[in-house]
Amino acid sequence: MIKRMLCLGVLSAVALSACGQSGEERVVNVYTARHYSSDDFVYANFTEATGIEVNVISAGGDLLIERVRADGDRSPADVIVTVDAARLYRAEQAGLFAPTDFSQLAGTLPANMMDPQGHWIAFAGRARVIAYSTERVDPSELSGYEDLADPRWEGRLCMRSSDNAYNQSLLASIIAHRGEDFAESWATGVANNLARPPSGGDTDQITAIAAGECDAALVNHYYYARLARSENPDDQAVATAVDLFFPGDSEFGTHVNVSGAGIAANAPHPAEAREFIAYMLSDDAQQAFAELTNEFPVTGFDGYDNALVRDYVSIRQDSINLGELGEHTETAQRIFDRSGWP
Amino acid sequence: MKVDPVPLAGLAALAAATPLVAVAVLAATGPLDGYLAHIARTRLGDYLLTSAIVSLTAAILSGLIGVTTAWLVARCEFAGRSTLQWALALPLAVPAYVAAYAWLDLSQAAGPVAAMLRDAGFDGVAAALPAIRGPFGAGLIFAVTLYPYIYLLAREAFSGQSADTYDAARTLGHGPVSAFLKAALPMARPAIAAGMALVVMESLADYGAVSHLGAPTLTVGIVRAWAGAGALADAARLAIVLAAIALLLFSLERAQRRRARSSAGSGRRKPPRRIRLAGWAAAGAMAVCLFPLLAGLVLPMARMVWLAFEAELARGLFAAFRHSAILASLSGLFAAALGLGTAYAVRNRSRLARISARVASLGYAAPGAVAAVGVIAVLSFIQTGLDSLWGGRFPVLLTGTVLALLFAYLSRFAAAAIGPCESALERVTPALDGAARTLGEGPLGVLRRVHWPLVSGGAITAGLIVFVEVLKELPATMILRPFNFDTLAVVAHNFAADERLGQAGAPSVLLVLTALVPMIYVARKIVKESAIEELG
Repeated sequence: MIKRMLCLGVLSAVALSACGQSGEERVVNVYTARHYSSDDFVYANFTEATGIEVNVISAGGDLLIERVRADGDRSPADVIVTVDAARLYRAEQAGLFAPTDFSQLAGTLPANMMDPQGHWIAFAGRARVIAYSTERVDPSELSGYEDLADPRWEGRLCMRSSDNAYNQSLLASIIAHRGEDFAESWATGVANNLARPPSGGDTDQITAIAAGECDAALVNHYYYARLARSENPDDQAVATAVDLFFPGDSEFGTHVNVSGAGIAANAPHPAEAREFIAYMLSDDAQQAFAELTNEFPVTGFDGYDNALVRDYVSIRQDSINLGELGEHTETAQRIFDRSGWP
Repeated sequence: MKVDPVPLAGLAALAAATPLVAVAVLAATGPLDGYLAHIARTRLGDYLLTSAIVSLTAAILSGLIGVTTAWLVARCEFAGRSTLQWALALPLAVPAYVAAYAWLDLSQAAGPVAAMLRDAGFDGVAAALPAIRGPFGAGLIFAVTLYPYIYLLAREAFSGQSADTYDAARTLGHGPVSAFLKAALPMARPAIAAGMALVVMESLADYGAVSHLGAPTLTVGIVRAWAGAGALADAARLAIVLAAIALLLFSLERAQRRRARSSAGSGRRKPPRRIRLAGWAAAGAMAVCLFPLLAGLVLPMARMVWLAFEAELARGLFAAFRHSAILASLSGLFAAALGLGTAYAVRNRSRLARISARVASLGYAAPGAVAAVGVIAVLSFIQTGLDSLWGGRFPVLLTGTVLALLFAYLSRFAAAAIGPCESALERVTPALDGAARTLGEGPLGVLRRVHWPLVSGGAITAGLIVFVEVLKELPATMILRPFNFDTLAVVAHNFAADERLGQAGAPSVLLVLTALVPMIYVARKIVKESAIEELG
């Protein structure tokens, strides 16, 4: 009786379920925190090249981690992609990744861009850098992240909320390089220099600089690159009024966060998952990241059509292993909580 | 024959309570690592203060807007009234986060209005332009998008009220305003209180709008504890605090309702006569009614349309529309049935039902992301049970099915369905039942010929509110949906998260239009029904 009822339940659930998984075709199930429409283009090319269909669920990294954790050994996830090193670390700590030998894929990848135990590998980077007003700031007065805590910036900074994962990872790297005490005085100093309480995203901070509300902000490079490469005259006007400063030679180099992927511990299609991750590091995919989303390719920049980002990539980057940032993220947030950076 | 609606109430309570129970278990069993003490020392005070400012601003402004407009269209006659009386419900179709994106974009120093002023040489004016951000800005956004909750319920109440009390007050020398305050308003108080509870609840549980506008409420703190610090158990503990606040609010609303019921009169009902306004009074009434429509619907949507034209069109919009429509209609239907069942059960004075209804209300209080985590935990628990009953892997994985989504939606929005149904059912006095039975109707006849005409408006409103809520819902949809199953809200969110407001424009506008179509239909139907009632 119970079995029959369950059968009925199954039938209705299958009928209601929109996901019809049929036949013997090769598939890979990707849980991704990336939400860029250009990724559809990359997936379509992957399917064309390999014959493997890509099933996608996109959601915030933390929700993805909870779902994979709750589904346990029944999880259909093959590949888990996050857009932030701290989330890769958290997924790894939760035991969601199967250790994998990525050495064949590593190629020209910088050593800090993959987990030493093979839990994850990065495939695209984003620099968090200083956007400044070309009108009111002389680039020679910029030296790096640490300088933004100086009182001469008082009332001149626009910042996104400290809820933001990229701000947290930047602070985590400052903790790693300079210790907690320094990081706390830095965060407090920056919070004291804010021109207005945080609101909006990175692009809103850039346009606020152009509109004269403040003189400098911390932003991910690709939001500026998008405005600079836009054909819209309003965007171009903003891009002319604002430029980016990369703290390359000063301090610890430019802080770069990553999109990275790992193979799920209970992946039903591990072979396909490997192929998928290999494809993310292929020339085709790397070109799409460089040209469509203005991200940093991780395997070099040969022959890609994006002069602006090519220049950015050549600037010295922080060489800290990204996994280490994850270890400091919790501390980073507690420091933010105390610093008064909303 | 006796129809027993208590099981339905129990079902609603079960659906709504289980995710919260999961959250409570999480809160009770998770590790204590000092995060709560840390947050209490640092930001908790700010979170609570911001929450208070946001929800009070939202409640006061939406109350003013909702009650004033409801009174004007229900009891006054002026040009445009018959259109306005359904159009005023429409801003409910606009997700608060979309309105927040549009209004911040419109009002900030880098926005089009300030740019236009600067081009015209009014630099000083441009600099003084107040940007809609921070706690008061967020409260304003909630007021102009959520006031229809109050408007809809108050309009029902005002046009269902007998004119006798109001007339009596006028005869006793009260002016129209004073008669309104002394006679009409107190009688509409349960409806207004129910609407306000929804407004406060929704603004407290919102994440998208407040985080964009920089108004860190307790919900932002909960998500931050979980997402930033990885302290899921502590996030759950903070969520329990929010649920407790909700419980308090709902019991206050209950008390209001009881007091109002005991003071409500009975007997012959004289249809209300509308006061004819002319000249400046009519123009003023029209302006008062147009303001919330412009602020909540027309201006933000016009901005999104404008932005959408500047950007390239996203692909997959039709599929996303279809998915959104399916999910929203199914949930709307289920929720209306559950809401009506619960309301009846409560009316029958079943103790179990009353507790169920209160518990069901709680689903509304948890922030979406936390509720989604609760739902995931519950589904995983059920899955384990199914697997062991089946003696192996049960053929269906619950997460990632439409069923899972429906469960999540019902758990979250049962309260939105129960409120309007109860409100409508209060118009059906026990004396009415008795009268119909005396005249020879059977129980089902009473239900069909007396109750249904009176409560259908409430049930439809309930279904409609849930339909619109589900269209707008994000976190549960994102994490529980099947593979490759984008909805309009998901597509709009993805572009907005990528700071491509232009491309978020098309799916947002489509989402609002999807919500508008059934809403216009239903709003007009409700209006027409009460017009017929008045004639008959």
